[in-house]
Amino acid sequence: MKIAVCVKQVVTREWPLRIDDAATWVQDRDASFEMNEPDAYALEEALRLKERHGGEVVVCSAGPARVAQVIREALARGADRAIRVESDRLAAADGGMVAEALASAMRDEAFDLVLTGLQSDDQGFAQTGVVLAELLEIPHATIIMEVQVTDGTLRVKRELEGGWFQWVSMPTPALLTIQSGINQLRYATLKGIMAAKKKDVRVVEPSPDLTPHQEILELYVPEKGKQTRLIEGSPGEAAIELVRVLREEARVI
Amino acid sequence: MIVGGGPAGLSAAIRLATRQQHDGGEPLSIAVLEKSRQSGSHMLSGAVLDPSGLDELLPDWKTRGAPVETQVRGDRIYYLTERSQLRFPPIPSSLDPFQNHGAYIISLNRFVRWLSEQAEAEGIDIFTGFAGTDVLYDGDRVVGVRTGDRGIDKHGERKGTFEPGVDIHAAVTIFADGVRGNLTKTLVQKLGLDGPAPQTYAIGIKELWEVPPARLDAGTVMHTMGYPLRSEEFGGGFIYALPEGKLAVGFVVGLDYRDPLFDPHMAFQRFKQHPLITELLTGGEMVRYGAKALPEGGWYAIPRCHVDGALIVGDAAGFLNSMRLKGIHLAMKSGICAADAAFEAVRAGDVSASALATYQELINTGSVRRELYPVRNVHQSFGGGMLAGLAFSGLSLLTGGALPRGRLSSEPGHRRLTWMARYYRTEHPDPDVSSNAVKVDRAVTFDKLTNVHYSGTRHDEDQPVHLLVQDTDICRTRCREEYGNPCVRFCPANVYEMVPEDAGADGGTGRRLQINASNCVHCKTCDIMDPFQIIDWVPPEGGGGPEYEGM
Repeated sequence: MKIAVCVKQVVTREWPLRIDDAATWVQDRDASFEMNEPDAYALEEALRLKERHGGEVVVCSAGPARVAQVIREALARGADRAIRVESDRLAAADGGMVAEALASAMRDEAFDLVLTGLQSDDQGFAQTGVVLAELLEIPHATIIMEVQVTDGTLRVKRELEGGWFQWVSMPTPALLTIQSGINQLRYATLKGIMAAKKKDVRVVEPSPDLTPHQEILELYVPEKGKQTRLIEGSPGEAAIELVRVLREEARVI
Repeated sequence: MIVGGGPAGLSAAIRLATRQQHDGGEPLSIAVLEKSRQSGSHMLSGAVLDPSGLDELLPDWKTRGAPVETQVRGDRIYYLTERSQLRFPPIPSSLDPFQNHGAYIISLNRFVRWLSEQAEAEGIDIFTGFAGTDVLYDGDRVVGVRTGDRGIDKHGERKGTFEPGVDIHAAVTIFADGVRGNLTKTLVQKLGLDGPAPQTYAIGIKELWEVPPARLDAGTVMHTMGYPLRSEEFGGGFIYALPEGKLAVGFVVGLDYRDPLFDPHMAFQRFKQHPLITELLTGGEMVRYGAKALPEGGWYAIPRCHVDGALIVGDAAGFLNSMRLKGIHLAMKSGICAADAAFEAVRAGDVSASALATYQELINTGSVRRELYPVRNVHQSFGGGMLAGLAFSGLSLLTGGALPRGRLSSEPGHRRLTWMARYYRTEHPDPDVSSNAVKVDRAVTFDKLTNVHYSGTRHDEDQPVHLLVQDTDICRTRCREEYGNPCVRFCPANVYEMVPEDAGADGGTGRRLQINASNCVHCKTCDIMDPFQIIDWVPPEGGGGPEYEGM
């Protein structure tokens, strides 16, 4: 099976975030970066599928030159080769734009399966995978908890709300967006790191026509509010009113 | 094989590659092991760089785009009292204790990352995320190191992702595992390599600030003495001004203080509360935090650094000039000397201690000894109090170290820590309150937990505790009574906490030790300063630790 995994490089979760001077993105010049967490699980799932069914794993990423870091990490963990779409314009791009950049670089490869993380740790739109599937004209399923492959057919477990799951069968080629925690992440080994240096990384430039679909107008820290309300009435009435307010207005119980 | 990807280890690696290119012959395979997730993540220093080591290693560093840009332009030394300060008049450069002429203010994190890029471009393998946990021997000959197992849970059981450690054998192993390096520590103990004097240490605590423009010109270097330390404590503050309103603000305290209730982190807060410093920081923002021990013992505290099959370089050996407050250039030079010795030895097919003794000769006949020998007694002299130390330093500088004569005796710093009853005599202080406690305002001053957040420290929570306390019963009984659990105070990352327990339990004092290992910033202070010497710092799972981006 020829599997593609799309990974995004994001600012590490431990990084104390600050908003940049233009108030449209976080200050990331001095930030420390890592692989987006759900994408790491997608990569692990791809490696496990390859181990079971054979084939190759191609890691794909779009962003400025610094994303070479996560590509290298993925290759050290066992991906076979990589495609990197490089442009500074992709640094904080919206999901649609990233999907277009990836789609044009991936289309000719005719992958059997494309895995992405469910969403990114930074913007969290959960759109890149879905839009990418549309652009590649293949079906997709989201929030995947388990993947089974038999004779070119997929059976996948989707996470619904409230502890419910849904099993879906679908043909390949297809795209799945993987939920965090679906498997246990492996470590890069010394051998893997050495081998990664020799693996092929195809660097492509995105089309000059690529334009954003969204614009971040302003980024701000959530405003903290504080409100005091006195509930009148007898203790009994006040208690009933208090429960109603907590349940219906504050929605905390 | 080089263990540790700091300035010393990477200099050794790059020098080996350069020698290889220059001298030809059978290609050497050169590998660097580094415990941090990315190159440079665990690097912490002031930092003022004397570029002489860099000039020697990569003379074309400017065209290679080294992140070494901010030249030191103004050097100010202050003596602080609680409310005011005295600025020392400009000192003629021959007597300037720091010798900052031609030096640069750098981010050691950035510098080391750049060095690692230079090394990788030479084809050197740098394995980040791998800690060396054991030295491999054949008899007394070092034959390599073992990396740590990964994927062990907090009960010591294997997880599904278990990845066993690997034995890496090498003709020559260069230990560059930094101050109080976990491997160098066992190597020195096993082979009895101690220098004539015990190593003494200090702890440096640093924050990176962004302040409104024009507070301090980039290139300005400030050092302070005096407040908040008393004359019995060694150390002082520093502020180094980087471009774009960035200030490196730090405080260094000798790990040989006597007061068991003293807290170095509190001393740093008090330093920032001084009007001279508060004025620079107010309205700014603290953006990074870190702490690291540094070796201050000087020339006589350096162990024998060559053994069969191995060499010790950099802070691991103690190549630091405590009078100039600089060690990066000496770390680099020691790495270069070690690489030259190792290269010759491997080529000659003899990696015995006597063949590797070339390293010692290169150190002795070169600029490392020329710089360290004249100041060999400076730190020890401060053992007699700060004024005696200052007078000594001056005399020592004037005479090139010839006077006063001989070698001052010194003892390991943790032995100077005094029992509470002896230090406080008739008073009965609360062991849960630091003697120099201040109330933090979370604007200029911070508590340890807030600070730790800004160190970017991260460890997998489900792994064995990497701070091995041999006997926690001592913590809840003797240590609490005698020293009031100083670990709670000397740890700058809130790793050690004494939490309530049933007072009557087995003769306890009502508190027991809790170790918050995932806060650890790998500074090594606990391993050094524990009065009972029962704390062993061993590396956590590779990749864990602080993230000193930009520090």
